[in-house]
Amino acid sequence: MTIKRLLAVVACAGLLAPQAWAAEKIEFWTFSMKPKFTPYFNAVVARYEAQNPGVKIEWIDFPWDVIQTKLVTRIVAGTPPALVSLNVPWADEFARDGLLTPVDGLINEARASYIPSALADLRFKGGTYGFPMYSNVAVIAFNTAIFRQAGLTRGPASLDEQLAFARQIAQRTGKAGIAPALSKIDGLFMQQGLSVITGNRAVFNSPQHVALVQKLADTYKVGGLLKESLFAEDNFPAVIDAYKGGRLGMLLAPPTAMQRIRGDAKDIYAITDVAPAPLGPTGIADGGWLVHFAIPKGVPARQLPSVGKFARFLTNDENQLAFARQASVFPTTVKAAADPFFLATPQNAGAAEKAVAAGAMSMNHSRTLYVAGIDDYDELRRSLVKAVEAGVTGKQDVKQALDQAVAIWNKKLATLPRH
Amino acid sequence: MTSRSRSLKTHLQRFGQYAGHYAVLCAIAVVCVFPFWWTLVTAISTEGNIFAFPPTFWPKAPSFDNFIEVFNAIPIWSFFKNSVLIAVFTVFWKLLLCSLAAYPLARLKFRGRKLVFGLILATLVLPSEVNFLVNFITITQMSLVDTYTGVILPNVVTAVAILLLKQAFEEVPQDLIDAARVDGASEWVIFSRIMLPLITPWLATVGILTAVESWNEYIWPSIVMSKPDEFPLSVGVLYLRGTFGSSTRVIAAGTLITIVPTLLAFLFTQRFFMRGMDGAVK
Amino acid sequence: MKLAHRHTVQAWLFLTPALLLLAAFSFWPVGYGSVLAFTDYSLIRETRFVGLDNFRYIFNNEMFVSGLKNSLMFLLMVPFVQVGAITLAVLVNNRLPGIRLFRAAFYVPVVTTVSVVGIMWGFMFHEQGALNYVMMTLKLVNAPVGWLSNDSLALFAVMFVTLWRGLGWYMVMYLAALQSIPSDMQEAAMLDGASRWQRFWKITVPMLRPTIMLCSILSVLAALKAYQEVDVLTQGGPMNSTFTALYYAYDQGLKHLKLPRALAASFVVSLFCIGIALLCLRYLKPKHR
Repeated sequence: MTIKRLLAVVACAGLLAPQAWAAEKIEFWTFSMKPKFTPYFNAVVARYEAQNPGVKIEWIDFPWDVIQTKLVTRIVAGTPPALVSLNVPWADEFARDGLLTPVDGLINEARASYIPSALADLRFKGGTYGFPMYSNVAVIAFNTAIFRQAGLTRGPASLDEQLAFARQIAQRTGKAGIAPALSKIDGLFMQQGLSVITGNRAVFNSPQHVALVQKLADTYKVGGLLKESLFAEDNFPAVIDAYKGGRLGMLLAPPTAMQRIRGDAKDIYAITDVAPAPLGPTGIADGGWLVHFAIPKGVPARQLPSVGKFARFLTNDENQLAFARQASVFPTTVKAAADPFFLATPQNAGAAEKAVAAGAMSMNHSRTLYVAGIDDYDELRRSLVKAVEAGVTGKQDVKQALDQAVAIWNKKLATLPRH
Repeated sequence: MTSRSRSLKTHLQRFGQYAGHYAVLCAIAVVCVFPFWWTLVTAISTEGNIFAFPPTFWPKAPSFDNFIEVFNAIPIWSFFKNSVLIAVFTVFWKLLLCSLAAYPLARLKFRGRKLVFGLILATLVLPSEVNFLVNFITITQMSLVDTYTGVILPNVVTAVAILLLKQAFEEVPQDLIDAARVDGASEWVIFSRIMLPLITPWLATVGILTAVESWNEYIWPSIVMSKPDEFPLSVGVLYLRGTFGSSTRVIAAGTLITIVPTLLAFLFTQRFFMRGMDGAVK
Repeated sequence: MKLAHRHTVQAWLFLTPALLLLAAFSFWPVGYGSVLAFTDYSLIRETRFVGLDNFRYIFNNEMFVSGLKNSLMFLLMVPFVQVGAITLAVLVNNRLPGIRLFRAAFYVPVVTTVSVVGIMWGFMFHEQGALNYVMMTLKLVNAPVGWLSNDSLALFAVMFVTLWRGLGWYMVMYLAALQSIPSDMQEAAMLDGASRWQRFWKITVPMLRPTIMLCSILSVLAALKAYQEVDVLTQGGPMNSTFTALYYAYDQGLKHLKLPRALAASFVVSLFCIGIALLCLRYLKPKHR
């Protein structure tokens, strides 16, 4: 009998929910930071706790493909983390659905320290919804051997030049010149100053849009565009593999990619040179991608001031600089971005260091380019990419393909509530 | 034809038959088992390009380094502990509640018996996978998110377990029960002192099936648990893949650590699985 | 009459805990979920009744509609799975040496957790993975195939993994059924000179009929509800081509918190499943009742 009773007690113990109550607990989430940045974040947490006794910080890191679900789960459960790392499109969607808390009151005292373009990325519905953390911007890495063979001497200065160089490379060396991520053709349009949507109607079948896609098609035809994964959702692995294998002339990538090339393909790294990514007519650099800390809805109001304080600490000049240097990304505070680390190129700079400097030049022009405010945007993007694929690969006339896609978009846009 | 050459011919024929038989079996077995073999090779090797062409089918420079790396990288002991605890409690409560429910259905006459039996059968028809959304809402309203209870509760009572145990009870001879009743024993005493001990093999079957099912469950725990420290292994191994996307070997090692307990349990208790299936078929 | 019901109180005491849990987690979700599918359930606003709006939305939404089509595509697998499982069961229904090893080998995919299955097959399907190597060596293809990155192929890759996982489970069911066929019928037929083929079709298959019915229904239901393999292999990609109806519900509900749509989608799936199950129960009533 006693054994049974013991079993029963143990079983009941298993049903007790683990309680979690702390003095002042702040839980913050990041994605894709472990294991590389574990020491960095642990250090930041330790420093803050030392300076603010009575505050306990908990840091949780998730793989990026899971963090959305976990955030949603916790918001539903009413126990959201105090701060969560998001990228701009996610933040846009969450903010629209009313799932984020505006941070204007909390960020105001530090507002001037952030780069204006980063803050602009975080303005939704008239409020600011995040504390900018780090940003990325693309640079162009090019294989100088292939360039020499093709008769080119410097990096391209515009998209047109990129495509022209690519054609030249294909014609003179038989290798592909460039591999744009055409699954993000909407961002490319926007960077070139061509709107994708105006006033709730799709407008990407205008003559300028058609001309741009036609140029891509012409480059494709002569072999200038890398064929592998050209339209894949994430073509980066195939592209960097091709560049590392010496099969690609130009690589448009954030500076972190240079470190990978240095690690995996030393010979190619040695002959790689770097130039800043061309600014489009809009003056916006390619590849802008801002990551920031947002406050989910449901964080108790009385906790907000101390959450704000921690958020400002997390994203202050000193910490952003330390992080950006480690991660080969770019900080989003004015002072940190002006640090000599980013602007001066050391002697004997390899491609990685040059990339950092090249990217830094574009930092002030970096905006996250995406189409905001549309539910289920992915579905629409898919039809656009399919149309561009048909046009670029020559399966369909470019204008025809874009017209069809515009019709699909307008049909769907007409049914959506306006934001 | 001499008898010797005839038997040789038949031997060859039979050999050919069986060889063909085995060949087919082997071919399919290879498809079933190869992914595990490849994972094992990848986890044990420390050299060579994982995705080299041709891939390595045999370990190169074998060592346990990758396994050690897994222990350093993710809180795998926590994952393991969580899986064990969830499995243990699930098995305990399931065996208890389902046998409690199965007994009256098997051996008692009472008002509403048909109704209850019908309801339980009805749950077999209901698409239970679809319920995760509402169950999640229910769990959050009960404040059971991020708890073991939240993970266990929806899985504790299943129609299959009740039906299997009902069959088990029905195999116990009625006279034992009658004799006990004549002696004035209460139903609870009959149940706990007589019936339960007699169906121990069935309890073991259901217990093992439940344990494996609980160990392998992935979607529901990943919905209920949001803190990585509280993930069970099945969820944690994906966390490993997400965090270490580029270290294929470490992921392979982590994968093996996850499945080894199940495989061992399975190999040693094969008959329980087969028996469980037998019962289900009936 | 009292004798027949004298145990009523005690019986209900025994049954209550289990029934409560079943009510809470099996019946309540079906009912409440169905009701919620007709509202705009949200965490931040009052819930209002919106009639068929959610359904109108999802049926106009390409992700859901193609997801539904994909779920129906999964049904194509059912005959393959059943025939394959029967074949395997027949092949292992003997006492050849080592046959238990084969049975175990076929069943191992079933007892492997789906997340691990996803990781392992992710490796197999990689552009530089084992499958491409085999196919290129056999000269079946010239260049690595993007099994999971090509939107025309990914769904089939996911379907194959589901098949791989399911074969062993059904095999065991059929094996149990085969082993319960009385052997005297087979022996009598052998004496009468019937060939193996004839014996199989005239005796074995008819005796397997109830099991075939049961397994086919279960297989159909499983096909309609497939979504876990999608989550661990492709997360619905590439370009949303591997969405299934229930994966749409999971994605919308738990990644984007669009609960009304997710509930509407799961309602549609429930309808399909319950409908099919009821149809089968009516037309294929088992004989012993």
